[in-house]
Amino acid sequence: MVDYHAIGTPTPRVDGVEKVTGRALYAGDRRLPGMLTGRLLHSHRPHARIVRIDTSAARALPGVHAVITGDDVRGHLYGRRIKDMPVLADGLVRYFGERVAAVAAEDEETARRAVDLIEVEYEDLPAVFDVVDAIAPGAPLLHPAFGTYPGTQPLDVPSNAYDHTVTERGDFDGAFAEADFVFERTFSTQRMHQAYLEPHTSLVSVTDGRAHIWTNTKAPHSIREVLTVTLGLAPEQIVLHHSHIGGDFGGKGTPLDLPIAYFLAQASGRPVRMVADYVEEFMAGNPRHATLTRFRTAVMRDGTITAHHVEYFVNSGAYAAYKPGGRIGGATRAAGPYRIPNTRIESIHVYTNSVPGGHMRAPGGPQGVFALESHLDAIARELDIDPLEFRMHNLIAEGDEPASGDQITRPRVRETLQAAADAAGYRDAKALHVGRGMAIGDHGAGGGVGNAEVTIHPDGAVTLGTAIFDQGSGTYTTLAQVVAEELGVPVDRIRFEIWDTDGTGGEDDSGIGGSRATRVNTVAAHAAAQDARTALTRVLAAQLGVAEADVALRGPDVLTPGGEPHTWAAILAEVGRSVTGRSHVDERGPTHMTGFAAQIAEVAVDPETGQVTVLKITSAHDVGRVLNPIGHQGQINGGVIQGLGYALMEELTFADGQVTSLSFGDYKIPTMRDVPQLTTVLLEPDNGIGPYQIKGIGETPNTPVAAAIANAIADAVGIRISDLPITAEKVYRALQNRGAAAQ
Amino acid sequence: MHLTVNGNPHDIDVPAGRTLVDLLRDDLGLTGTKEACSVGVCGACTVLVDGRMVASCIMLAAQVDGAEIVTIEGVADGELLHPLQRAFVEAGGLQCGICTPGQIVAAKALLDANPAPTEDEIADWMMGNLCRCTGYYQIREAILEAARVSGRAR
Repeated sequence: MVDYHAIGTPTPRVDGVEKVTGRALYAGDRRLPGMLTGRLLHSHRPHARIVRIDTSAARALPGVHAVITGDDVRGHLYGRRIKDMPVLADGLVRYFGERVAAVAAEDEETARRAVDLIEVEYEDLPAVFDVVDAIAPGAPLLHPAFGTYPGTQPLDVPSNAYDHTVTERGDFDGAFAEADFVFERTFSTQRMHQAYLEPHTSLVSVTDGRAHIWTNTKAPHSIREVLTVTLGLAPEQIVLHHSHIGGDFGGKGTPLDLPIAYFLAQASGRPVRMVADYVEEFMAGNPRHATLTRFRTAVMRDGTITAHHVEYFVNSGAYAAYKPGGRIGGATRAAGPYRIPNTRIESIHVYTNSVPGGHMRAPGGPQGVFALESHLDAIARELDIDPLEFRMHNLIAEGDEPASGDQITRPRVRETLQAAADAAGYRDAKALHVGRGMAIGDHGAGGGVGNAEVTIHPDGAVTLGTAIFDQGSGTYTTLAQVVAEELGVPVDRIRFEIWDTDGTGGEDDSGIGGSRATRVNTVAAHAAAQDARTALTRVLAAQLGVAEADVALRGPDVLTPGGEPHTWAAILAEVGRSVTGRSHVDERGPTHMTGFAAQIAEVAVDPETGQVTVLKITSAHDVGRVLNPIGHQGQINGGVIQGLGYALMEELTFADGQVTSLSFGDYKIPTMRDVPQLTTVLLEPDNGIGPYQIKGIGETPNTPVAAAIANAIADAVGIRISDLPITAEKVYRALQNRGAAAQ
Repeated sequence: MHLTVNGNPHDIDVPAGRTLVDLLRDDLGLTGTKEACSVGVCGACTVLVDGRMVASCIMLAAQVDGAEIVTIEGVADGELLHPLQRAFVEAGGLQCGICTPGQIVAAKALLDANPAPTEDEIADWMMGNLCRCTGYYQIREAILEAARVSGRAR
């Protein structure tokens, strides 16, 4: 066992004091001299041709400096990978809320009035909102020019299903022919907003031919690369500056209004700031995708699953632009860590006339897991097998291949599930209308490239340079722990230098996302600290007149054979110069290592009203070494409660393609009153990635919650809700329908 | 109009429609107070007006003429953090920090009114302050800890 002083120690956030005193600056807190306010006109039609836009009255309003429409930015396409979205609607709107025109004015009031003065004449087109309707013959085609956009290839047959992947293993048809039972079921999930409390903000100033940008993005280098294409600029003409980020959960990887703010700044010759209001966030953000999952599953009499067919439909919304990879995962999550030899897994992404989806915490994970874990639970109950036994019978062990065909090293999924069951008192007696349900999820740490620079100053201070824009998950604190550990100094000795996008000296940096920050950046900080240590040793050896091999660093002390003990800080002060170590690390490779989460929910259902009360959640995690227990537990707590919101209350509601839940008064997220008793179980770590053997924790805690709650409801009152969220109305209706059927 | 913010007097002319949060952030440069939902339900913009907790995004500046306002910038005693601020940092009661000024000001109003609240009383009082990062557990822990520390100090 390695003896660490900083790693594994509960460490308060290094940016905590700034944040509790109100001194921390977020993008919306920035002001520039001469700054204008930008506002948007959004489409009020789900699918329509723009016949005419009249901006003359808006332009004539005193205080208005620029008005732009699609005509002014024609050909400028935005997209993380698939560049299918015009910066402003180009003669056509494809969803209610699409950005149609923009205004820059002296103040907010003037900008809003100017937006109201813009007249748009539309000619409605047939619209399609549902994935099944959108792929039906004769459905209106949203993107006939798909294949001409950057990042796309032409489809064999024009379709709204712009991405359809199929993977098949084993003797799929044969296994169904021989099955004792075949179970078919369909599940659907709703659109969910990330509900970070800081709305999207873009501040752009164009000076000396460079676009200076302050925005709330967690992946500044990736965004700069995207902007080179969208804005038609060279990388060195774009610089993203740091601000604190007020929540992300996947939603701050694609700055929604940034290209528009740039063109307004160009047109007005002044800095322009755009702050979305929360109506715009709900109407035209980048929410978690709605999905529809169809299953056909072959099972033998003894409960062995032999074949599994997944059809996983993702409602992309009107554009693929906000998805970093052009599509999201989730189809393989709907196959799961089960030993199923014969599988067909289909993932189908479909354009519809609705708000485009983006990333949210474990993109696709909660959708796929809700469907699969609900389905398996229903099968177990129909076969009269205990759901825990049914899962244990089919879960992978060491050496097994999961249904996805992915390779997984040391899959501790059974151990994790058993730990959850034990801690939850799964077999304990239950009151009437109280039930327990379980679900399993997993998420490996993503890869990427990262940078760090560690400088040790003559006064003993240490500076860590980083390109990371911490969105709240606590990366700065874990990086400070790494440097403190490797240099043998206290964490509070570490000072931060957060670089703008110029700071890496031209190297790429993947930023935050996909549970990669801890994996990639602990490696980067570790390497830079080791490099700094080597440089320090060299300087100390020269100053002490000994060989480098004879210099040993022990915390604050430097030891030499037979020599006087010194502190290295004192020697460095004598030398009077600082030493620096740098790193650029490439951690893009797959890890084959994942972290499982197993959760058990205990709920009480009121049969009179359908109201579901979550009494208790037990969350067990297959973890690596926990670097900072405070931050680690915070990820679990926050993830579980987001999962609770997803399960029971949160939904972007729609009427004719228009979002109708347009404020936090209508779109309810959990409050302190809604949180149940939470018990966390962490397995003893025995494997992990990188110098400290870590695993990611950002995404798994929010993945199984909804399925665990759905299964607990089935256990409590015997009804199965297969579409999220599980509102009291749905439970009440299901109970009524069952009562009517029984009579 | 005249008002006192964190002990500092201000005489200022503002348009009739100016909200209190805009007055604080834009006119006085006190950007510690945040605006999120803009409809008075998320609690990010919470400030104290004459000791009373209000949502500054739905209060007009004109309504606070003559009032004493406390914002997050006025919670610490110079460089000495308030027990709530220390407890939030130490217990992990914040992550991204955008709701934190509102949480701390609301919790201060709670402890001013009820120095030793139960978990239930904390949840009832704080349910108007949304947080998307923490799941609230560590916020509750921080408030309990601050109440304990303040209790010992009295």
